[in-house]
Amino acid sequence: MGMREQIETAAARYPDRRSAIMPALLIAQKAHGHLPGPVLEEVADILGVERIWVYELATFYTLFHTEPVGRFHLQLCDNIACMLCGAERLLAHMETVLGIGKGGTTPDGLFTLSTVECLGACEMAPVMQVGDDYHGNLDAARLDALLGSLRAHAGRLATVDPASAPSPGE
Amino acid sequence: MFEPVLLKNIDQPDSHLLSTYEAGGGYRALAKVLREFTPDDVVELVKQSNLRGRGGAGFPTGMKWSFVPKRADKPKYLCCNADEGEPGTFKDRIIMERDPHQLIEGLAVSAYAIGAKTAYVYVRGEYVTAIRRLEQAIAEAQAKGYLGTGILGTDFAFAVHIHCGAGAYICGEETAMLESLEGRRAQPRLKPPFPAVAGLYASPTVINNVETLACVPHIVVRGADWFRNIGPAKSPGPKLYCLSGQVRKPGLYELPMGIPLRELVEEHAGGALPGRRIKAVIPGGVSAPVIPERGLDVGMDFDSLAAVGSMLGSAGVVVIDDTTCMVKVATRIVEFFHHESCGKCTPCREGLNWAVKVMRRIEAGEGEPGDLEQLDGLCKGIFGNTFCALGDGAAMGLRAALAHFRDEFAAHIEEHRCPFH
Amino acid sequence: MVNITIDGQTLEIEAGSTVLQAAERLGIAVPTFCYMKRLPPLASCRMCLVEIEGLRRLQPSCATAVTDGMVVRTNTPLIEETRASMLDMLLANHPLDCPICDKGGECELQDMVMAYGPRRSGFHDSKRVFHSKDIRLSPVVIMNVNRCIQCQRCVRMCEEVVGAVALGTVEKGMDTAVTGFEGSLASCDQCGNCIEVCPVGALMSFPYRYKARPWDLAETDTICPHCGTGCQLTVGARKGEFMRVRSDWEHGMNRETLCVRGRFGLDFIDGSARIKRPMIRRDGVLVPVSWEEAGAYLRQRLPAVESKACGGLASPRLPNEVLYQFQKLMRTVFRTNNIDCSSRWSTPVDTLAPLVAAHYTRAPLEELIGRDCVLVVGGNVTEENPVTEYLLRDAARRRQAGLLMLSARPSRLDADARAVVRVTPGGEAAALGAVVAHLAAAAGPALPGDVAAMIGGPGSEPTMAAGGDQLDGLATALTDGGSVTLLVSADILRAPSARATLEQIGNCLQVLRTLGKAPAMQFLFDRANQLGAWDMGALPLALPGLRDIADNAAHAAFERAWGVAIPSEPGADFDAMLDLCDNGKMGTLYIVGSDPLMCYPDRHFAQRALAAADFLIVQDAFLTDTAGLADVVLPAASYGEEPGTFTNNEGRIQMVRKFREPAFEARGNLAIFDFVAALHDHTLQPSTQGEIFDEIARLVPAYAGLTQDGLGRDGAFTRAGRTEPVGRFFAPPPAPVVPGEMMLIVGNGLFHNGYLTGHSEILNTVADDPYVEMGAQDAAERALLDGDQVVVRSAQGDLTAKLKLNRRFPKGLVFVPENYRALRLNSLMRRGEYPCPVEVERAPGVVGVVPIAGLGAGAQDLAQGLPGGTS
Ligand SMILES: Cc1cc2nc3c(=O)[nH]c(=O)nc-3n(C[C@H](O)[C@H](O)[C@H](O)COP(=O)(O)O)c2cc1C
Ligand code: SF4
Ligand code: FES
Repeated sequence: MGMREQIETAAARYPDRRSAIMPALLIAQKAHGHLPGPVLEEVADILGVERIWVYELATFYTLFHTEPVGRFHLQLCDNIACMLCGAERLLAHMETVLGIGKGGTTPDGLFTLSTVECLGACEMAPVMQVGDDYHGNLDAARLDALLGSLRAHAGRLATVDPASAPSPGE
Repeated sequence: MFEPVLLKNIDQPDSHLLSTYEAGGGYRALAKVLREFTPDDVVELVKQSNLRGRGGAGFPTGMKWSFVPKRADKPKYLCCNADEGEPGTFKDRIIMERDPHQLIEGLAVSAYAIGAKTAYVYVRGEYVTAIRRLEQAIAEAQAKGYLGTGILGTDFAFAVHIHCGAGAYICGEETAMLESLEGRRAQPRLKPPFPAVAGLYASPTVINNVETLACVPHIVVRGADWFRNIGPAKSPGPKLYCLSGQVRKPGLYELPMGIPLRELVEEHAGGALPGRRIKAVIPGGVSAPVIPERGLDVGMDFDSLAAVGSMLGSAGVVVIDDTTCMVKVATRIVEFFHHESCGKCTPCREGLNWAVKVMRRIEAGEGEPGDLEQLDGLCKGIFGNTFCALGDGAAMGLRAALAHFRDEFAAHIEEHRCPFH
Repeated sequence: MVNITIDGQTLEIEAGSTVLQAAERLGIAVPTFCYMKRLPPLASCRMCLVEIEGLRRLQPSCATAVTDGMVVRTNTPLIEETRASMLDMLLANHPLDCPICDKGGECELQDMVMAYGPRRSGFHDSKRVFHSKDIRLSPVVIMNVNRCIQCQRCVRMCEEVVGAVALGTVEKGMDTAVTGFEGSLASCDQCGNCIEVCPVGALMSFPYRYKARPWDLAETDTICPHCGTGCQLTVGARKGEFMRVRSDWEHGMNRETLCVRGRFGLDFIDGSARIKRPMIRRDGVLVPVSWEEAGAYLRQRLPAVESKACGGLASPRLPNEVLYQFQKLMRTVFRTNNIDCSSRWSTPVDTLAPLVAAHYTRAPLEELIGRDCVLVVGGNVTEENPVTEYLLRDAARRRQAGLLMLSARPSRLDADARAVVRVTPGGEAAALGAVVAHLAAAAGPALPGDVAAMIGGPGSEPTMAAGGDQLDGLATALTDGGSVTLLVSADILRAPSARATLEQIGNCLQVLRTLGKAPAMQFLFDRANQLGAWDMGALPLALPGLRDIADNAAHAAFERAWGVAIPSEPGADFDAMLDLCDNGKMGTLYIVGSDPLMCYPDRHFAQRALAAADFLIVQDAFLTDTAGLADVVLPAASYGEEPGTFTNNEGRIQMVRKFREPAFEARGNLAIFDFVAALHDHTLQPSTQGEIFDEIARLVPAYAGLTQDGLGRDGAFTRAGRTEPVGRFFAPPPAPVVPGEMMLIVGNGLFHNGYLTGHSEILNTVADDPYVEMGAQDAAERALLDGDQVVVRSAQGDLTAKLKLNRRFPKGLVFVPENYRALRLNSLMRRGEYPCPVEVERAPGVVGVVPIAGLGAGAQDLAQGLPGGTS
């Protein structure tokens, strides 16, 4: 299904098309990687809603990115439970290993490193979300292994269209 | 020995499939209700059970349902609050991932009770697995005639839609959730009108938490008395407790309401990590004021915790031990609220910003005399004056940290450093 | 009614009121930021918190409904502390750049801190800074985000009042910022209402920026000249130099709102085409001369043409006193009834005058739009009367009025309507005829049988224009509603079917009366004083007060009052005057403030006819196209340079004040009339504005008893004349032929109405380039894309402009805005034919150039849509 059809399917779930802006943005972001102005305009046009409404939502919610992010978005939870279980050390570790700071993207465009609020998986703190997947009970060794497998995965997929590639397994 | 009901399926292989759920007696409640109960009977039953909302505020569920106007020219909506953003909380995720049909059956029974034909499950966008499992479960339920039109051969029709959140804690606040569902920035709405009268699309709307809804089928099958007899009568039932932080066995525990916090932490969750001592516990997610170790002999239910100045909230129990700096904990929590403030009202938006600035300074050893009074003043300016409970939660938590651990704050200021480093 | 006690004072107040309203009633000041009187409470700023007995927490008084026996306190130490605390938190992040802030001196935050603020702040960490430079959101709106206090007034104004939905709020929490899509307001209405409601110096007017301090401004309360809504505004001038416009909540039907023309379009008075000195035609060219030389020239030329016909045209943008004096001058000095006040249409006075007399409701629009049904006929209220549109939106959204739209041209307001009947261009009469038939059926035996049969009551098939089911819905809404208001765009007067449309409006109102709906009716005029112009008798067939020229009693009364004989034969309207010119029968044609060469719907004919008049006098502030053809050009005072009154669409008469002296050698219009009368050895008595006002109040019944002093700031209502039904019904018009081709209609755009706005530098900056608007299907069929240069071709001529796609446009409709002087839109039109059949195709050649075959306007002017005149 193309982006327009997917958005139409989502819109059919609501009595008001404005409600479909959030699902449409999620769909558009999946298709485009992030949400630059022209994509927001397209979403507004498909739904027939005001552009500013789309822009408002694209900036209010943290899962939407109006700027590009790396191939793998490393989202480390540093909220209370993860902090108590050592998230700070993990962040420092990743900053060293990847050579980027919080919010940065590696020069090869592979990794963007962020900290996020509680991921709702405190039983396996410290936790990091990458793509659709949660990785819990992390320590430096597990992190290294994870980054390694992501790199390998990216290598294997180098010839595949990134948008249609499955995300790496758990 | 307490027999788990909400979590009884979760350790089975393929616990998320309809077949597993049916094998354990699933959808019997829906069948029973459609055959034997009028909608009013269901509302009455839930009232009798004394079920109180598991989302945080503990509002009696049956009473909430009874506010929905019986006759209305508008459609009615049921919204499930699966936004679960309260730090320290993960119970709803586990229900949705491992036993999604339990929620769907709860939704169907509740929708029948209030006369809704449509439900939206507002799931936080990060919960990708939960979303997939729910989608799969909806499809299965539809195929089996538990959802759709003519459900189980009756004229009851009901559809469940998933709405994915996109990373904003405030969406858990029920009116902000409605705004978000309507495609607006998630900022809380003025009440009245209350959602039961004019909620989603200005139609009568009931919003319930995942766990609340999951309780409903069990009440139907086992009866109100069964439920009311678990834990304190005014705040009864089986309860999910999320244990996390500096504790030996973090995880999700189903135990009766009202279980003493100390028993929960020290016996069920194994107590402090080796060689450490518990310093404090946050009993209900970070909105709930912290309780110092000496206060752990309190029952985990709405009324008992309120009586000691804290709250059950989402039952996200976060354990903090003696290696941890309370200024750091408090700062991180205020940072969270500051980051998640929707920005609508002045005291929350601006006040938390100043609180964060002052606290970060104190934590970094750059505190000054007068800073604590400044924080006291901010708590006063924020608490009770914000538009929604987010600001209150932040101010209450900070106030409790300042009250119970003032010496740690003072030490930072006096020594110009963090004593824990 | 409930009783409430606030700070010990007790008040009885309507249930449903808020505590804040009760406090206001008692004169107790409660500070607010986010509160907007016109909108539901937001309750986000938390400045208005009060103590209510029995409630644990402080409550926002703006959002708390009174209950009986409620006891409120607004002045306790806790409240004082809380207010100070809110202000402290706000101020701590607010830049303290008041000395250079435009708002300094009239800033609500400043005032509030003075009144309630903390005397000192404990916050000393660094302030939040969004941007170090202000953001230019549009040519007229500039934003300093650091100063924003998040009251959301601007965003709510934009979305809920103006309906533009251009401003929004991005990010959340402390990062929250108000902005437009992708940080730009380039395509908004540019009304600047967001600036008006901003309590601090966050949103600012770019043209006014850093120009003056509020305390240096001399402020004059006056009325906007740009349409018939009649908005109040306050002009700020420094040392006679125009600086800015603002508006306030307390006064005027516009209640603090304005449109882009009112807020930013008054700089036209300083337009470069102002005529500096009188001019006379010498050896074929206009040369500047002194007033004395102009007088001598006139004295020499006028007698030579005295034997021939003469006629006069005056603009409905002129004040009542000027229009009254003009018709008096024409009737008593030039001794003719050849007088008109519109060059865009011929007013069917014989149908119009009885309709206006019997049905025009001279009452506040605010009241009329609160009725069950409001039917808007013709035009595009969004672009013609923007502030009226704001009120209509409010009526539909918050007052539950059933808004019904019947027009050829879609408008933004359609979205708020309960029914929208999209008629084929010129099909208003037929559609109204169908509505009347529905209503007649509902009236049943209440209507006499012959009337019912004639107007298509039971039994006869309604003639349908377009939008059948919507038409049913509209008619049903009218039948079901208890009370009805009709608002009629003056736009309907353009078509040859104008008379039929007016007849059907008359039918409709009469049947509604029969149905007991007490219908109200007003026109929506696009010219500031159109109703006044009619009232003043600037018409060929009507004396002041819309009294028939053939009404002997009226005729005699005016002769008596003026002490001179006045001609009794019916006059020629402007169209007929042009015929006189064309046939070589016109001696003197006297045109005041009007540009028929640009407006008359057939440029070729107008050009030929005007050139054929023996002697053309043009009196204007600006060098118009028509002035370019004149024998004598007399420089007149512009708006703001002479006092007077306007009668707005509501029938409210309001003072238009002078805020500076006439520019250059211009003279007041009244003084010029004296000058012209003196050439004929006449004196016009009275001759000052105040005295003329008094004479109007004596001689025009609708204005009887009014005094200038009595107008106050909010004006006074003129009175409806006769109110008994006319009792005449008209047969429905034939259904319009659905044209096979594209039909061009013209009208006002948002930024330009009438030629005055074309002299506003600011409006020219913010306005679109001239454009051709049409629907997606028509464009697709021609393989045209939004923004393409397209040629619109009629049998008469063609023009080229940018295509503007409008999804709401029906098939077959093309719209091009008037008032782009360089476009010469009227050269496409043939007199007597409207709408105008056209074809639209892609323009050959280079994008960006606007090739127009034409009469010497410079290429640069064309590209910018600027007036090409010189002075
Ligand atoms: C800031 C804030 C966040 C909240 N977050 C959640 C949440 O994530 N999940 C939830 O169920 N309730 C949350 N709540 C509570 C809801 O507003 C609401 O009370 C609840 O969903 C009602 O359901 P219940 O009666 O079943 O508990 C939150 C409330 C506030 C003020
Ligand atoms: S307390 Fe105010 S700013 Fe904070 S989340 Fe609630 S409404 Fe938004
Ligand atoms: S005016 Fe009441 S909260 Fe802002």
